[in-house]
Amino acid sequence: MAAMTEEPRRPARMVFERLGPVLSPWARIRAVAAALAGLAGTVFVAALWWSEPGPLPGRTHAAFAVFTVFCLAWAGYGGWTLTRRVPLFATDRVIAGWLAVAASTATAVLVTVVAVQRGSGLLPAVGVSVVFVGAAVVLVVRAHARRAALLRRKRRLTGEEGR
Amino acid sequence: MTDELLVVRAQLGERAALAELVLRWRTPVWTYVRRMLDAERADDVAQEIWLAVVRGLPRLREPDRFAPWLFTIARRSITDRLRAEYAEAEAFADVAAVSDDPAEATVERAELTAGLSALPVLEREVLVLFYLEDLSVEECAQVCRVPAGTIKSRLSRARRLLREQLTEKGWQP
Repeated sequence: MAAMTEEPRRPARMVFERLGPVLSPWARIRAVAAALAGLAGTVFVAALWWSEPGPLPGRTHAAFAVFTVFCLAWAGYGGWTLTRRVPLFATDRVIAGWLAVAASTATAVLVTVVAVQRGSGLLPAVGVSVVFVGAAVVLVVRAHARRAALLRRKRRLTGEEGR
Repeated sequence: MTDELLVVRAQLGERAALAELVLRWRTPVWTYVRRMLDAERADDVAQEIWLAVVRGLPRLREPDRFAPWLFTIARRSITDRLRAEYAEAEAFADVAAVSDDPAEATVERAELTAGLSALPVLEREVLVLFYLEDLSVEECAQVCRVPAGTIKSRLSRARRLLREQLTEKGWQP
């Protein structure tokens, strides 16, 4: 049939090269960094806002709100990029998971220290920190489990082919 | 190496396995797209398909079902392209004419092609998936998102239409 007598005009190498921008490690690093920085920033700014001692003037509230929305926008952009634009393979997920644990732990420590120094809002700060770090730990555990399952499957299939 | 092993290795992040998958499936994907669109658009749509495949590969839960998953993505990309260019009804009527190539009408294989390209798009699609891409009826059903019985009836109708087309052109079985 016609297409059986025709061949794709683009060589395989060119097809694969055009996928380069999506497969670039930098694209994944940028997306993970945007998501983590956005989330960490949101938690930090929100914790500062919440634990601010005394009544705040309207302009300060507005500034905190703008900062929070700004950080949320980066988190949303990073999340959208990671789920829709850039593939995160199993090994990438493990690395991203550990980055999330590191970033959430650092943010949790920072938020808790600020709350202790101010002497207010300690309980909410600890609560938010636990949720944030907990979510990161869940992500890294799931990433390790997924990678381990794929490695087991790879070993089984390689063994079957070797027979 | 089986497709399943290649997919698993690619899902782990092995670039060489992903390149091998592209190399292995590039022509079948392009052939399917080419049967539905003209050569110019086939190159672009095939590239879009590979982009969607790479983006979706980490989420593929059944690596042993790679081929139907791949053709489901291919079908969606073709449909999106047709929808973007025409009203749906016009598109289904027009693609047949687009794929016609009079220069190929001199050999028997090309006559088959001409007959195929004159078929309605749904029947042509199922012939391509079943005969050219070697998918099973169940896999065709998964790709086209219709019951297996519908695929069987489309295949039957497609064979009849193709036979009529070829007989009209004087082809002898």
